[in-house]
Amino acid sequence: MMSGFFNKRDKKIVKEGLWDNNPVTFQVLGICSALAVTVQLKTALVMCGALTFVLCMSNVVISSLRNYIPGKIRIIVQLSVISSLVILADQFLKAYMYDVSKQLSVFVGLIITNCIVMGRAEAFAMQNPPLKSFWDGLGNSFGYSVILIIVGAFREVLGSGTLMGFPVIPEAAYQAGYVNCGVMVLAPGAFFLLGAIIWAQRAFSGYVENN
Amino acid sequence: MMKSSNRYTFMFALIVCVVCSFSLAAVSEGLREKKELNEVLDIKKNILKAVALKDPVDPKAKPQEVLKIYTDKIEEIVIDTKGQIVKGKKPEDIKEGRDLMPLYIYKEDGNVLAYCFPIEGKGLWSTLYGYFALEPDATTVRGMTFYKHGETPGLGAEIEKEWFLKNFKGKQIWDLSKGTLTPVVIVKGKVADTVPEEQRFYHVDGISGATMTCKGVNAILKHWINKYEAYFSRIRKI
Repeated sequence: MMSGFFNKRDKKIVKEGLWDNNPVTFQVLGICSALAVTVQLKTALVMCGALTFVLCMSNVVISSLRNYIPGKIRIIVQLSVISSLVILADQFLKAYMYDVSKQLSVFVGLIITNCIVMGRAEAFAMQNPPLKSFWDGLGNSFGYSVILIIVGAFREVLGSGTLMGFPVIPEAAYQAGYVNCGVMVLAPGAFFLLGAIIWAQRAFSGYVENN
Repeated sequence: MMKSSNRYTFMFALIVCVVCSFSLAAVSEGLREKKELNEVLDIKKNILKAVALKDPVDPKAKPQEVLKIYTDKIEEIVIDTKGQIVKGKKPEDIKEGRDLMPLYIYKEDGNVLAYCFPIEGKGLWSTLYGYFALEPDATTVRGMTFYKHGETPGLGAEIEKEWFLKNFKGKQIWDLSKGTLTPVVIVKGKVADTVPEEQRFYHVDGISGATMTCKGVNAILKHWINKYEAYFSRIRKI
């Protein structure tokens, strides 16, 4: 038996979500929000924070209840837990980060339908104890966050010439005829970037789809 | 009790519902004051931005400071469709569907410096909400803001950006020579290329890639400037 707060096995669980089984690039889940909130890095970061909170908490709560949840209504119970947590996160954003919550608008609410959250609840938290589920939630939400941050940073720099709202492309470049890349602020821009990231990751990890 | 029995299932569902709803209600109620303050503050900040205060509000100003500036400088009145001031009413008393309209007057040391009114209407994807402010001559545009919309970031959403809004400043909504109303029109492309010299006083540059949003803004401006004309025609000295 391995013991301790964060042992080798836990590390493997976190790594699984971050890299080997990354929810965005490997499972291709959570794409809707990955496209919608990555126009700017700041909104992407807040979205990542909200998802990390919801995913970790929902995994812990559902895992603690896993031996009591009746099989017939397990999906509904999972959804109630997840949606309550999402509304909690949304309320806190409205109270303490009003401007960002205005920009994120419906997308915080839509974490409820983010496949990653329910996917992890059903696939992992229902079978594993709370602490392990917490690590799984953390790994997966970091996996999601890393991709969102990369996409968000690229889209903001290429699309608006700023990073976290600060200009990064020198004024001289604009005077020399440089133009911001309009497609990057639209959803297709995120699609291209995501495709490139998935390609790069699979080339690196040597993953091949089995037919 | 069996875990698979109907009774257990019902009991479990009931407990989950009660716990979830209680915790949500508690949080929502606990944060209510803060959320409401945020919303009110957001609107007041936008009015202050539209009227272009002599000393702009510090973006880091505390909520109380913003509220104080607002109450010191902005007078809120209500007018009806004939342009008469309705006494004893505040903008928050206006109910949906009544023919009353709010008007915000920016005063500094007793002198009127701007008139401001809310504008709203359809853009491309969403309803746009903002404020429009005129100089005391009721003819020259002083400022404009949009504080809520769901347009495409980088394209239609540029309407809330400073580079676009600043083009409105100094435009005229009244043609002195003809005596007609000239709501500001956003053109496609640059004003300098497309509009004859004598009409440029009420045209502004468009946003490339946001023609439909701009069309919406044009319609919104036309609608609200016409609506408030009942009041402004009384104070405009011709």
